[in-house]
This record gives sequence, C-alpha cells and structure tokens, in this order.
Amino acid sequence: MHRLLSFLKKRILPEQEPQLSEAELQDAFRRRYSLFRSLLTANNNALQAMADLEKIYYSGESYRMAVVRARITTILVNVYKMVRNLLVMSDGRYQELEGIFEKISQQLEKVIEKKPDPPQGEYIQTLAETRGKDRQLVGEKMANLAEIARLPGINVPAGFILTAAATRHFLTADHFAEINRRLQVLDPEDLDALYQGCAGIQALIDAATLPADLEERLLMHYSRLEKATAPGVRVALRSSALGEDSGTISFAGLYHSELNVDREGLVYAYKKVIAGKYGANAVAYRRRRGYRHEDIEMCVGCMVMVDAAVSGVVYSRDPGDARREVLRINCAAGAGKGVVDGTNLVDLFLVDRQSPYAVVHRELRQMSGGPVVAAADPPPSHLLPPTLSDGQLRQLAETALRLEEFFGWPQDIEWSYDGEGKLHILQSRPLQIALADLVAEEEPSPATPPSGEPPLIQGGVCASRGTACGRVFRVDSLDSMRRFPLGAVLLLSQPLPEWAPLLNRAVALVAEQGSEAGHLATVSREFGLPAIFGLAGAMEQLADGEEVTVDATATAVYRGRREDLLHRATGKRDIMAGSPVQKLLAEAMVLITPLNLTDPAASQFKPSWCETLHDITRFCHEKSVSAMFSFGEQFHFDKSRAKRLVGDVPLEWWVINLADGFAATAQDGAKAIHINDIVSVPMLAIWQGISAYSWQGPPAVSVRGFGSIIFQSAMRPELDPAVASNLTTKNYFLISKNFCNLSVRLGYHYAMIEAFLSDLLTENYITFRFKGGAADHNRRAVRTRLLADVLERHDFEIELKGDTLLARIKKRPADFLAERLQVLGYLTLHTRQLDMVMDQPAMVAQYRNRFNREIETMLGRTPPGEVDDGTRGKSSAG
Amino acid sequence: MIEFNVLVVDDEDDFREVTTKRLTKRGLKVWDAAGGAKALEVIEETRIDVVLLDVKMPGMDGIETLRHIRSLKPLIEVVLLTGHASVDSGIEGMKLGAFDYLMKPIELEPLLEKLMDAYEKKRLREQKIEMAQMKKHMSMPS
Repeated sequence: MHRLLSFLKKRILPEQEPQLSEAELQDAFRRRYSLFRSLLTANNNALQAMADLEKIYYSGESYRMAVVRARITTILVNVYKMVRNLLVMSDGRYQELEGIFEKISQQLEKVIEKKPDPPQGEYIQTLAETRGKDRQLVGEKMANLAEIARLPGINVPAGFILTAAATRHFLTADHFAEINRRLQVLDPEDLDALYQGCAGIQALIDAATLPADLEERLLMHYSRLEKATAPGVRVALRSSALGEDSGTISFAGLYHSELNVDREGLVYAYKKVIAGKYGANAVAYRRRRGYRHEDIEMCVGCMVMVDAAVSGVVYSRDPGDARREVLRINCAAGAGKGVVDGTNLVDLFLVDRQSPYAVVHRELRQMSGGPVVAAADPPPSHLLPPTLSDGQLRQLAETALRLEEFFGWPQDIEWSYDGEGKLHILQSRPLQIALADLVAEEEPSPATPPSGEPPLIQGGVCASRGTACGRVFRVDSLDSMRRFPLGAVLLLSQPLPEWAPLLNRAVALVAEQGSEAGHLATVSREFGLPAIFGLAGAMEQLADGEEVTVDATATAVYRGRREDLLHRATGKRDIMAGSPVQKLLAEAMVLITPLNLTDPAASQFKPSWCETLHDITRFCHEKSVSAMFSFGEQFHFDKSRAKRLVGDVPLEWWVINLADGFAATAQDGAKAIHINDIVSVPMLAIWQGISAYSWQGPPAVSVRGFGSIIFQSAMRPELDPAVASNLTTKNYFLISKNFCNLSVRLGYHYAMIEAFLSDLLTENYITFRFKGGAADHNRRAVRTRLLADVLERHDFEIELKGDTLLARIKKRPADFLAERLQVLGYLTLHTRQLDMVMDQPAMVAQYRNRFNREIETMLGRTPPGEVDDGTRGKSSAG
Repeated sequence: MIEFNVLVVDDEDDFREVTTKRLTKRGLKVWDAAGGAKALEVIEETRIDVVLLDVKMPGMDGIETLRHIRSLKPLIEVVLLTGHASVDSGIEGMKLGAFDYLMKPIELEPLLEKLMDAYEKKRLREQKIEMAQMKKHMSMPS
C-alpha cells in the first residue's frame, strides 16, 4: 500500500516531503484553510465592489467621486489581500503577481488623483482685452461676453474680470484641502448636514483674507472704471465658472451675483461670489451631475451696473417646444433679477423667428398681478408698468438671432434696457434644450406592469440592464457551447466564467443561479448584454428554441417578441454623460473590470496575462482553490495516528481529524472511531453513498479481460491480484466539520474526493480525481468515460485526459453538494467492478444503467416503472 | 464579551469621542489620542491590544504612525480607518502589516467585529510565542 501510494504521489509531486505528525497536520490544515477563507472573503468583497462600480457607471444615475474612490479603495485592498494570501498558500509561486498588482494600482492612483492644471495668467484683465481663447482663465460666461462685446451694434457694459489665477491666489492649497475634507465627509442624503456644511465652507471663505496685492489691483481696476464712466459708479459682480464645458450641463441659477456694489463693498462682494460655488444647491447639483469641486474654477466678472428700466431674458427658441419657430421673451421692470430667479411676476412674449418678428402670444402678468392671456393685440400703453414695445421686441429678436448664429446654438440671453432705451447684453449662454428634453423624456418606471400577456417567469436579480429578444438556447456542456447560435438567448444553470465567450454571440442571458457580483455578470454589463441571474426554475420553464423577450431591468421573461417592451428599452439618457467624474470612472474601469482570463485551462491563464484587477481576482481564486484542493496531495501525514472506522462497514477505513470532525463523545485516546461519532458533514454524505448498496465484488471476467489484467500485473508487480487484499486495506479520510478529503485505493484504481460544505456558497466545492487502475489503457479510458457520463448527469464539470478524470462542482448549496458526495461515495465503491468487463459494450451499458438507477433510488428520485433485473444489491442505507 | 484594550486615534473630535464612548459601552477598555505622536505615547505607557487608526491626520499621518507602532510594539494589531485618504494608502497600510482597512462611516457592529478579530489574531500569536518559548525552556538541559 505505502509503496503504491508513494508511487502515485511521486508522479504528482516529484519530491517526497517529510511526514507530518497529527498536530502538525492539523496546524497546516488550519493555516491553509484560514488563508483560503480570507482569500474567498476578499474575493467576494472585491467582486461586490466591482459590481457596485459598474452598476453606478451603467445605471445612468448620479454618483459622486467619494463613492467611486471608496469602492476603488475597497477593490484594491481586497485584491491585495488575495495576492498576499495566494503567495503564502502556494509557497511563493506566482511571485510576479505582486509586481503586476503594483503596476495596476499605480496606474489607478494616477487616474483617480488626476487634477485639472492650475490656471496661469493675470489676476485681473479687462473685458475689452479678453478674447474667446481666454475662457480657461476667465470662465465661459465672461469669455462669451467679451466676444459679444466686439460684435458691432451690440452693447455690453464695461468691466473687468478677476481670473481663476486670482481665485487660486486668494484661496490657497490649504483652503482647498480643508474644503475638500469637509465636502468629502458630507452625506449627500442628509440635507440638513449639507446646508450646514456648505454654510461652514462659505463662512471659511468669508473669513479668509484677500491678499493685499490682489486687493490693490482690484481697487485700481475699479478706479479705472470710475474714470471711464462716473465717480462712485455702481458695479455688478457675477460668477463665471470654468470647467462647466459639457453641452448637456446647465449650471443656471446656482451661483451668486452681487448687484449695486460700490468701492467699499468690492472685497466683500468678491468673496461672496467666490463662496457661491459652495452654495448647497451648487454642491448638490455638481455631485448629481458628476463634477468634483476641483473640476470647477470660479472667476468673477465685475461690470458697470446698467440703470435698467426693464430687464429680462430672451430664449432664441422656446425650450418647451424647441421645434416651434418662436423666440420666448420674459421681462420685468428694473434690474431683472426676478426674471432670472423666477421670483417676480414677469411678462411673457412669444415672437416669430422670421422678420418682421410678429408677436404671436402675449401674457402681461406684471400689470394684472397674475397670468393673463390676451390676444395678439397690444393693450393701451398708458396703463402699463414698464414693459416692452413692439420695436424693442423686434430689436431683442434680431439680437438674439444674431447671437444664435454667432455661437451656432440657440441662446439664453440676459439683457436690460436703460432709461434712454439702449439695449445692454449682460450674458449669453447656450440654451439648455437637451436638459429640457431630459425632463420630458423620463423613462417609465419598470414597476409599471406592461400590458398584454404576463411573463413566463419572473424573479432573480438584474445582473445587467436592458431588454432583448431571441430564441432560448440552453448550454450545459462544451458540446452545446460549440453549437450556440448567433443571436440566441443564453440559458444557463450556473453562470460560470467559462461561458463568457458566448456573450459575444448571445442577445441576452438568463441563469438559474448567481448574482450581480459574479464574473459573468460583470462581463454582461461590460458587453451591455441584458442579463437576469438567480432566476429559479428557468431551466425548467424556458424551452429550448422558444422565442422569448428578456426584460432584464424588470427581471422578467415573456413569450414571443414583445415590441412594447423592446421599444421602451431605448431613449434612456445618462445624467452623468460627459462629466469629469464619469470620464475618470470610465478610465479607471478599464484597469478594473474587464476579464481577460476566462479559461483556466488556457495557456494564457497565468500572472503575466493579468491586465486588470478582475483578472487578478480570477487568477487568485482559481489557484487558491487548486492549492486548497490539493491539500491531501501535498501533505504527507503520519498514518499511525489515524483511527480506524468501526461499525457495520465494508472494507477498511481510517480517519484523521484535522479539526472539529469528531463529536464531543468521541474518545480521545481510542484507536478506533465509530461512524456515529463523526460529525463531518461531507464525510457523512460520502459515507451514505458508500454504504447505500453493499459491494458485490468483482464480476465474472471475460477471458480477454482477464488476460489483460494478468499482462498488466506482470509489468507492474504491485498490481498483482495476488496482493489485492493488501491493496484494499487502508483508505484515509482527513476531516473537519465542513471539510473532507478521502483518498481511496479500491482494487486498482486511485480516487480522491475532496469537499468543503458550509453555509457560504462561495466556499463550497467538491473535487473528484480518478486515475490509474488495472486493465489496459483502452479499457481504463472507457471506464473513466463511463464515470464522466454519470457525473455529468449530476452537474459536475468534467475534465478528461486519457484515463485521468477530474470532476468538480463549486459554489452550490451544502445540501446540493451532499447529494453529489453520495453519488461519489457510491461510484468510488462500485467502479471497481468495472475493470474486468470494459471490453463488452453491452455490459458497459448495463452498468451505466444500473449505476444511474441505483443512484436515483439512493437519492430518493426513484424512476417509475423500474424492473428489478437482479443486479441490484441489498440496500443497507438507513 | 471579551475585554481587551483599544486605542482610538483620530483628529476628528466628534468621531473619536463617539467611537470611544460606544466601544466603552460595549465593554472594551478604550484609550484615545487626537494624533500620531500622542498615540505613540499611549502605547508606550499602556498595554494596548488593538489600535483603530485614522489614516488621514495632520502632522504625523496614520501610515507614519503605523510604521512607528510596528517597530515599537510589533504585536499590536492595527485596524486602519479612512474617509477620504488617497486610494493607495490602503494598500500601503496593508503592506505595513495593518490587520485590515475600514471605510468611514462605519457602523458599530462591523467595527466591533473587526476589532475582535484583530484581538483574536493577536492573542493567538502571543499564545504561539509562549508555547514556543515553553518548548525551548523544556528542551534545554537543566
């Protein structure tokens, strides 16, 4: 026995390791297991955080940098733990993983910490000397205003701009760090805290001292403005942010303006406008749209106040109905603040976009104190508070259309008429038509049940959003995988990463098991493939070849092609589109989520092919499982410490307790242990399989088969049937409560079962290795093929190489695995009989049938109409 | 509840005080320090089992403090804590031998669990060292 075992082990491990005592073995097991367990936990955490990242990225909903940063940190720390544990578990193999991890994490760090370049230039420049190209220094609003000011016939009030360089001079790196710290701890859901926190930041800016040189220059520019206009001239200070350069983003009305400011009020007003960047609304809005506060730089325009008789806003198109050929003009008496913030009653005019710019609609609310809809005729003018004459409306229309043409996009323009009837343009910016559409085109809530036939099946989790239609194709083997047609709905029992290559060909994915955090879920999202995971009963309820519509967002599958659902799937807008945070996350995700290592059997499955953190987790997971699985192979134990299993048991079995595998009633010093004193869940399951049917002994050997065995035995003396009794002596169970490793030598074959069964799905596994045995190579291959057939029926993944069989199941519930262990227990005992008969096809079929039948019966799934053909043994199962 | 000694190090007064109060209520003996330098003083004077250490602090930051703790008292387990540190400080901390890394804000239960795990690890390690020492003494000819 020993000679044979060591012979087999030498084939796997070239060097014989020293034998370990029971205590050392237990210690090695515990250490290995605790590393394995913590690696699996880290794996779960990392995958969960990756799924979170993808979810927020693809959801189209809002997210903020702090969340992104926290998830990425979680991923990095957990992947690092996995690498570290794997290195210990594998005795330093895969050392290069460390370097690869290091490289990826440094790249990530660079992406995450990327900041816009600090602004370079003068602290203050006049509007007149500003050009459009200065927008990186003066902000979008002031750059546009400077451009307009140079257009002939358009008046813009004189003024100057305190640039981004001035802001950075005023607020130092320390200020920014403190503001950063305060913003990052703000809970976005807690409005009270948000307002309080923002007030605190604004107070901090208020309290900061304006550098003397900046203050001096500010006052000097004001003096110049006085000289050009009038002594004591009043000015307006307006925000001009830079970095808000995305077409679909409107920062309208979020910031602060100070009107009617004199020399004494300048410094205070400047700080107020700067602090406006941290108003609660502005902070909340930036977060929602994916802007970090360092992405936005605040500049301040300081312009001469217009002594306004009437002021207002003109939209060169009506945002409510952008296709209609009208301009929309609002106005109110005075400086117009109420028009912009919507607090005053204003008059409304819709004006034809074609000359002569006829008024098509008029609401004079100022006069009436409420909305009044009048005909297109002008009312008697002496009754009116200052409003607009038809000539002024025409001038506004012409100006607005000129600006629209100049900027190439419908404009939103603020203006004032002074007492002399001169038109001043205070601001012009792109009209937010896209944002208006966004509000109008809200996707109907997925909770609304669609009309028509109810779903065939519903439930599980949405692993990847979307809706698609195709024919169901079930994949459960390599063979069916190869036949998978383009454009089908992929139906799986378990979403293993091995199926990932099919996602290129599938239109949707439905799996009975799994969650949104799995590898395949990740890849589905990456491909934008609608996927429902954990949909119980899917394998049974969805028929192969049937056309279905998968609504992953609502986790439902419908019969046939459902245009109503497929139609609804389009038109979703992304609120974060184009934002700096989204760009940054997109860049970061390239280093995190793509999975390149999908096939553990491929030659590329090695550290040097890991390009992302996901690859590293996949690699570590796979290799840690093999390291754990091979525990029984790697550690050589002192067999004298084993206890013999006693009771009504066939053959001879020995047990070594690695941890909590014995009941408290078991006697410590005893040389034997009773099966009733075993509490190892996997061992008991295997034992049920072993003892379900009594062993029949070898069947009659055909002459040819017998000759073959004699021949083999002659070549390998240790296989001589004459010493068979010796060969069948010792079979070892290494156990703990949840773990069992069984090495069996029954007859001529060598088998090993290793299993871990617990409440944590991700930890659960069974591996079964089977190899060698008497009989020639051909017959051994037939036997392993038969075993593979039987095991495949019971959900094992099979790898067959010649006469070596590796069968595995992972991540299934403990009771599910316990049944499979019974199957293995049964097969381990009964395959021995196969050796002699493998050259008789009829016998092979007969054995296969008998195995399947007995297993079904053992598992309590008795097939109906069974005829007892006499080969069935006496059941000894309880 | 097993009793052991915890040191909470954080420059944010609110967080430090609330955490100290809650952990004390759950039966732990808790010390606190508002900065790295003070923390090192405490571990010199007191038998601390587990340190809960904020990464981002003015002056001596968490990573620097961790480095000192590892050289002064290598048996003390350190749990790092952060709200807004740079992403690689987490890995840096793990490399320096921190027991684990928690993100702020953190609920009491998971925090407590993590601290107990850290303490368990420390206890086992001490036990092992003790056993090894005992073995060594026993095997020495008297």
